[in-house]
Amino acid sequence: MNGYDKSGYAKKNQTRGKQMVNLIHKPQSAALAFMVAGAVWFVVGAVYGMFSAIHLVAPEFLPHVAALVFGRERPVHINTMLYGFTGTMLIGSGLYYLPALLKTRLWSEPLAWIAFLFWNLTVLSGPVGFAFGLTQGREYNEYVWIADVSLVVAVACLIVNTALTIVHRREPQLYVSIWYFMAALLWTACNYPLGNVMWHPATGAMPGLIDSLFLWFWGHNLPGLLITPLATGAAYYVIPRVTRTPLNSHTLSLLGFWFLIALYSHIGGHHVLQSPIPNWLKTVSVVDSVSMILPVSIVVINLWLTARGFGGRVWSDPAARLVMGGIVWYIITCIQGPLQSLPFLQRVTHFNNWTVGHAHIAMLGFGGYIALGAMWHVLPLASGRPVYSRKLVNLQFGLITLGLTGFFLVLTMAGLVQGTAWHNGETVLRVLPQIAPFMVLRAALGIFILTGSLVGLFNLYMTLRPAPEPELIRRAEEAA
Amino acid sequence: MKMTPAFLIVGALMVFWASTFIIVGIPSMTMKDYPSDIWRPLSPLEREGHRLYVKNGCSYCHSLFIRVSDWDVGAERIARAGDYAGIEPAILGSERTGPDLSQEGGEHSDDWNIAHFTNPRYTTPVSLMPAWDFLTGHEIAALAAYVQALGGKDADLRQKRQHDWKRQALAAYAEGVDRNIEWLHAQVPEVWRRMPNPYPATEAALQRGKRIYQQLCINCHSPVGDGNGPAQPFLGPPPLNFTILRRHLVENRYIGGIFYYQIMNGITGTAMPYFKKHLESEKIWDLANYLAVSFVGYTDANTEPRGIDASYEGDWQNRYRPPAVNGSP
Repeated sequence: MNGYDKSGYAKKNQTRGKQMVNLIHKPQSAALAFMVAGAVWFVVGAVYGMFSAIHLVAPEFLPHVAALVFGRERPVHINTMLYGFTGTMLIGSGLYYLPALLKTRLWSEPLAWIAFLFWNLTVLSGPVGFAFGLTQGREYNEYVWIADVSLVVAVACLIVNTALTIVHRREPQLYVSIWYFMAALLWTACNYPLGNVMWHPATGAMPGLIDSLFLWFWGHNLPGLLITPLATGAAYYVIPRVTRTPLNSHTLSLLGFWFLIALYSHIGGHHVLQSPIPNWLKTVSVVDSVSMILPVSIVVINLWLTARGFGGRVWSDPAARLVMGGIVWYIITCIQGPLQSLPFLQRVTHFNNWTVGHAHIAMLGFGGYIALGAMWHVLPLASGRPVYSRKLVNLQFGLITLGLTGFFLVLTMAGLVQGTAWHNGETVLRVLPQIAPFMVLRAALGIFILTGSLVGLFNLYMTLRPAPEPELIRRAEEAA
Repeated sequence: MKMTPAFLIVGALMVFWASTFIIVGIPSMTMKDYPSDIWRPLSPLEREGHRLYVKNGCSYCHSLFIRVSDWDVGAERIARAGDYAGIEPAILGSERTGPDLSQEGGEHSDDWNIAHFTNPRYTTPVSLMPAWDFLTGHEIAALAAYVQALGGKDADLRQKRQHDWKRQALAAYAEGVDRNIEWLHAQVPEVWRRMPNPYPATEAALQRGKRIYQQLCINCHSPVGDGNGPAQPFLGPPPLNFTILRRHLVENRYIGGIFYYQIMNGITGTAMPYFKKHLESEKIWDLANYLAVSFVGYTDANTEPRGIDASYEGDWQNRYRPPAVNGSP
């Protein structure tokens, strides 16, 4: 290699470095990065979900692959969907609407990129770690200690960035979406280390029965005080913008917000309601689980009244339709949830596929729909490019709705078959052959959800890839 | 009410911590981690097994607590707080794709567990559990040791019974095929040994028995009943070859009661588990008739003493004839 080549190479490297620097300073670049990462994780999570579903039908599918046994692939599926898809995508849309609502810029774009890096490292530790037994094994708290640290660093960066963006705002009023976004981050920074027992780095657990309280404290606060406020904030942002109506009620927004935090952290105990935890804890968790009807219906009513009379605008906008679909799943989830926390009903619904159905409508239905809707809504605003194809957004909505609705029905039925049979004295083993047809249907319906995630990623790629001028004009016309 | 940044941040954190204090703080200060009556410490090998249980996600399909409403394996003891003393982490579990394991220790023999982990379908044809044969032999042994310790001192009692009877079963097996069966039959209470199968061996009953055989028995005792199923290489003594029972009918007549008793109660010490939790009366009798007709070529169904026939029974006649001379094949 001669000197000329070397300097050329160095120059090329330099420009590349400059491009990187430019990118991480570019407004909205971190928001876009979070949303793209969310779409990628959705595909990864769906692939692992598909493997898990197949293994519940055919346990000898791909035998002798240690990384793909149910006990290892299930946590990859769940954590990738929770943190990777729903969480990442909702943070992405939040990083856009936060400065937009405050009429300013994000305080620091590079700091948001640092958060992006650490957050995604944590998510990545799922597929590369759990598959090889690097896990703490506690449901929803599986990430190993170093990945916990990485996640907390990411959240801390986001808190600083959000707080300083608020400080530098040019809009005096804090819109409700801002409360939820800020609070979700603050709560997670407190919640996560506590539930993950981060002061015990080796196991991430407390000794003895009390660990189940720490475990389900975060186990339920993850959907409740991370995903719920992020999704609620996003819905409060998208719906009034699409209907072009003012928010129905400021008072209802306040009530919904404060009720959520007052009640939510108490309800994790309903996951171990039939275990030997103290009775007063069971009572608290049941009472507060039922009370959750309040904040949920307040939020839903507030959003529906905001959209009242303009349903057509919501339905004809593919992104808003996804968000509204998410709100419908929210109310279904949160009527079902309190009901199944009642001890009498839980005797039948606990430990079986009923709960699996519930978890899917909560995370993919409520969190996932709103994440996708907010992403498609924010994408053109953040990137300056119209969405590649509205038809593909509609197709994604259709595929996921078909898959998830079927999923919910099939799993609920399977759960009732299991629960009632067990209650009548049948053993787990004897009921296994009875749920086989449901498991086949569930795997089949999973294909729709996986396809939906792929369609979304394709649409996102085609939107953001460098495109010739005429195509951009065509897309702009289609969007208008 | 106006949401200022300070009010938002301070308020959200204050309500959060107040709420959290109730649900995490108070239990931390009041719950005591005292051992229960059945608790005992885990051995180093069992602790290693516990790590494997956690690492490999066993808890996603197996719970570790028995509820008041449970009937399944282990339901003799409702879980108590002290059962989990010092275990870190004690993952109670949220799903039962497989059975609860909190009292699994000593429910099955050690060799059954090894075969089961190597490929669960060897011992349990309908199981959905993955095969763990990618683990090393030592790891599978550690996992088995942990599972056999679940249930603490109660599990130890059951394990002691397993090991005592294992010694006797192995000794009987060493004495040859016929002496082994004599020993096995001698362990069945007298009243059961001369009890014919009270259920008619109709076509429908045999079909039901066959279905149960395929779901529960086939991979140890094999499709032809000779005891050479895929689990056989793991098990000592090996699964019974039913076809030689033809020369061991009690008084050259009876076999139904022996089948029933052995299916119901299992043969503790060997890999033959009890099935009384999985199957109730008629299913066991149907299975017994299936074994007798298919692998012995004879059933004592509906022979004397028989009492009054149940109202649903048709005029089914037992056309099976016992072997001509006692002891002849």
